[in-house]
Amino acid sequence: MPLPLRYNLRNVAVRRWTSAFTAGGIALVVAVTMLLAALVGGLKHMLIATGEPDNLIVLRKGSTNDGSSFLPRDAAQVVRQLVGVARGLGGEPLASAEIVNQPFLRTREGRRENVLVRGVDPVALLVHRSVRLVAGRMFRPNLGEVVVGTGIAARYAGARLGSRIEFGRRAWTVVGIFDSGGTAFDSEIWADVADVQDDTRRPGYSGIRVTVAPGADRDALVRRIEADGRFTLEAKPERAYYREQADSANALYVLVLTLAAVMATGATFGAVNTMYAAVAGRTPEIGTLRAIGFGRTAILLAFLTESLLLAAGGLLAGLFLAAVAMLAINTLLSGIAFSMMTFSVATVLLRPTAGGALLAVGFALAIGLFGGLAPAWRAAHLRVVDALHRA
Amino acid sequence: MIEVRDVSRVYQRGVDLVHALEHVTLHIPAGRFVALMGPSGSGKSTLLNLLAGLDRPDTGEVVVAGQPLSRLDEDGLAAWRARHVGLVFQFYNLLPVLSAVENVELPLLLTTLARAERRRRAEIALAAVGLADRARHRPQQLSGGEQQRVAIARAIVTDPDLLVADEPTGDLDARSAVEVLTLLRELNRAFDKTVVMVTHDPRAERFVDEVMRLDKGVLVDGGRP
Amino acid sequence: MTYPRLVARNLLRHPLRTVLTTTSIALSIFLVCAVLTLPGALDAILAHWSSDVRITVHHKAGLTYWLPYAFLAKLRNLPHVAAVNHYSWFGGIYDEPKNMFPNFAVDPETVAQMWPDYGIDPGALERFRKVRNAALVGEQTMSKFGWRIGQEITLKGTVFPVDLTFQIVGVIPAASGNPVVLWFNYRYLSEAMEPRFGTALAGPTGVVGMIWLRADSPAHVGEIMRTVDELFRNSEAEVAAETEKSFIQSFTSTFEGLIHVILAVGFLVVLAVVLIAANTSAMGVRERLPEIAVLKSLGFRRRPILAVLLAESTLQGLVGGLLGAGAAWIILGALNRAGKTAGGAFLGPLGSFHMSPTVAAEGVAVALAVGLVAGAVPAWNGARLNVVEALRRLF
Repeated sequence: MPLPLRYNLRNVAVRRWTSAFTAGGIALVVAVTMLLAALVGGLKHMLIATGEPDNLIVLRKGSTNDGSSFLPRDAAQVVRQLVGVARGLGGEPLASAEIVNQPFLRTREGRRENVLVRGVDPVALLVHRSVRLVAGRMFRPNLGEVVVGTGIAARYAGARLGSRIEFGRRAWTVVGIFDSGGTAFDSEIWADVADVQDDTRRPGYSGIRVTVAPGADRDALVRRIEADGRFTLEAKPERAYYREQADSANALYVLVLTLAAVMATGATFGAVNTMYAAVAGRTPEIGTLRAIGFGRTAILLAFLTESLLLAAGGLLAGLFLAAVAMLAINTLLSGIAFSMMTFSVATVLLRPTAGGALLAVGFALAIGLFGGLAPAWRAAHLRVVDALHRA
Repeated sequence: MIEVRDVSRVYQRGVDLVHALEHVTLHIPAGRFVALMGPSGSGKSTLLNLLAGLDRPDTGEVVVAGQPLSRLDEDGLAAWRARHVGLVFQFYNLLPVLSAVENVELPLLLTTLARAERRRRAEIALAAVGLADRARHRPQQLSGGEQQRVAIARAIVTDPDLLVADEPTGDLDARSAVEVLTLLRELNRAFDKTVVMVTHDPRAERFVDEVMRLDKGVLVDGGRP
Repeated sequence: MTYPRLVARNLLRHPLRTVLTTTSIALSIFLVCAVLTLPGALDAILAHWSSDVRITVHHKAGLTYWLPYAFLAKLRNLPHVAAVNHYSWFGGIYDEPKNMFPNFAVDPETVAQMWPDYGIDPGALERFRKVRNAALVGEQTMSKFGWRIGQEITLKGTVFPVDLTFQIVGVIPAASGNPVVLWFNYRYLSEAMEPRFGTALAGPTGVVGMIWLRADSPAHVGEIMRTVDELFRNSEAEVAAETEKSFIQSFTSTFEGLIHVILAVGFLVVLAVVLIAANTSAMGVRERLPEIAVLKSLGFRRRPILAVLLAESTLQGLVGGLLGAGAAWIILGALNRAGKTAGGAFLGPLGSFHMSPTVAAEGVAVALAVGLVAGAVPAWNGARLNVVEALRRLF
């Protein structure tokens, strides 16, 4: 016959401070786990979700990213005409030749950061389909107009619709703001390709983004691109390109896991202490319960339940804490800035992940279970006579 | 030695006011062994706390060995207790983590005595209660009677003028109780200590010089100068 | 019997509890130390890597804007300039893209004059000047890739479309504060580029990434910077001169957001362990209220009782802190030596997890504070316990 849950709840409530402190420790483990997982989650999402599944990225062979690649103009002309490249409604090839640059920008606080500026043609919006203008309009060529990602708009001085922003050798007018759904493009500035070529004094391109025609053989297109002996090009799926960069986030995941696990171990020790003290403090009570006729299993379950109740309380408080913190970071700080492999700054929004939530729940349960097991075992195996004698 | 003048003590228990002592006046000469007796709730423990300087009266004055206790603040009282009073409790109240001799030595930490001297005096006190051979034992390894004797050694180790004992035989079997009472009497005689003891034990009457009786906070017998 | 003994005995009363509490303090101090290495690395970089006489000159618009090679000659003749060198980012990768690390083409002739504080072996500097494809490599990068002096390694160029094979002729000591970099002769790169692309990096049409200057005294740094800015105003490439410190700061400040998050996490870790330790210490005091009452009745005053109770929790904090900081010292040190510290790609120069004695001391100090804070309220409650109230439950 098990003891009623109300008995456990009352006991947890009676030891108000002890319960609150123990649950508080668990809550902090949960919150930290959630927050860090959300940070890594946001980072991975930004990189993994960037790019279209049917796009290829064409770079000079050997380049790891478009910041360090260089292609002559002719290469773009050749790639545009290849069989297998998708066509727009007007018959134009969906191949966006782009030049990437990383000039200094001033943050609102006046700090200097490298920002990724992408010089594109209007066709870019057809190739990068995740990118949508959410305010203003697209830039017009040769006028020094730019559109900026949402992450840029929040972070840099002058990056507001209609205002002037300074970078490179001149000032530019912000005529639009675009959103790419939390992907890497949100931390970019897009300008007319000719304007950027002029500004950087580099006549060519960094790379070409190509949409594969529906039904066309992607691998065949890759072979055709790489077969051209004049330019030594390399093509790979756009998604794979960003995922490679995301792989380095895995190291960060290991770090987060280690940190959370070590912290959870500490909290487990705290729970063990609490539960042992509970058993010691209630020894006569346990004796009485046993004398009345409650079995060992009932006592074991009672103490285990109490430990799990503490963990559950900590879990709820921790989830709440994490949610508030995430909201605050995402809205008040507009995310966390990272310096990426390419040295340009990207702002990452915290993104709660199912994996992180599962991890947090797992930690809370483990703390409750392992924290309660040994003390509950001791409680269940007290000799009735000894226990009563301590009364 | 002890002057209690018109002392009253009231305290709150829940919503009720308990009149523990009402206008008690008594006198105990130096070197006297006194038993305080009376039914439960008669105020004898309250009186004992006042004599030991653990508690303060609401009205009236307690003077012990010429020292009006009301003149001392909290820390002053603590220092005074350390020097002048030895306490013995019903449940011995030894520190379970310390050995017998260490328990006895405990009050000497409050003195300026050197470490070796502290240990020497603790051993003498322990020998005085007949437990020299149990010096290294922990309290839980001792019988009730032995524990109470350790507690008495702890009470006398500072050579106080006044020994205060609260039901010292309350938790003991008949033989141990007699041993403890005999010990208190011997200490009273041999070292001229004033001993005040709260007790229910009818055997105690044979050992003491005087019995004072309290009932409902009023002194009904003894204590007249 | 002594007070320390009383404290020790009390700690041994519940050995398991003491061990668990101390261990959980140790675990969190371990984390705190690991976390504190990040801002520590930031400070160390600024303190060590930056000299007060080195000046960087780069294009005003950004580091991707090259400077004409011809600028070097103009700067060399400025008053108070003791040495001139230059940096061109090669962006070479070793084996795989994830093995990206900073490697620069420099002028081997003036390395000794520009970076005399780096402690590079004079013999190595000599070979660096003599051997056409020589490279100097930072100590940390040497151990990360398991390279040896004399070994030939090939880096795949990303910024420049050439692969270069270098002979490692010497090590840049970790103490320089610049332990991951690789330097090689810019002429070697120039020669590799010229036949294929027709552009020489050196010479009148060449370019460099940025320029280093060394002032003859810290007092002249400001003057030189002003002169340099003025010299190229309205030229084909306007420049910005700044001290090495502010140059490095502009990189590391990018990490500030991340560091704030990580420090906040460290704070939460400490908060969690304070809760745990405070709870333990409160339980200990609560269980011992009768004993504390006895001590008070024996004449012990508040202060020694407070001291004994506080000493218990503080001692646990101290031992936990020493264990945690010690473990961090050993484990992070071993990881560092094995070159296995993770997260480097995202934490950049801060991800080295190099633990300084300062960080260890801070960890122990945090642990002491944890013990003190955790013990404060329970000890205070214990010390001001009302004897009569407590004894009434006993009598």
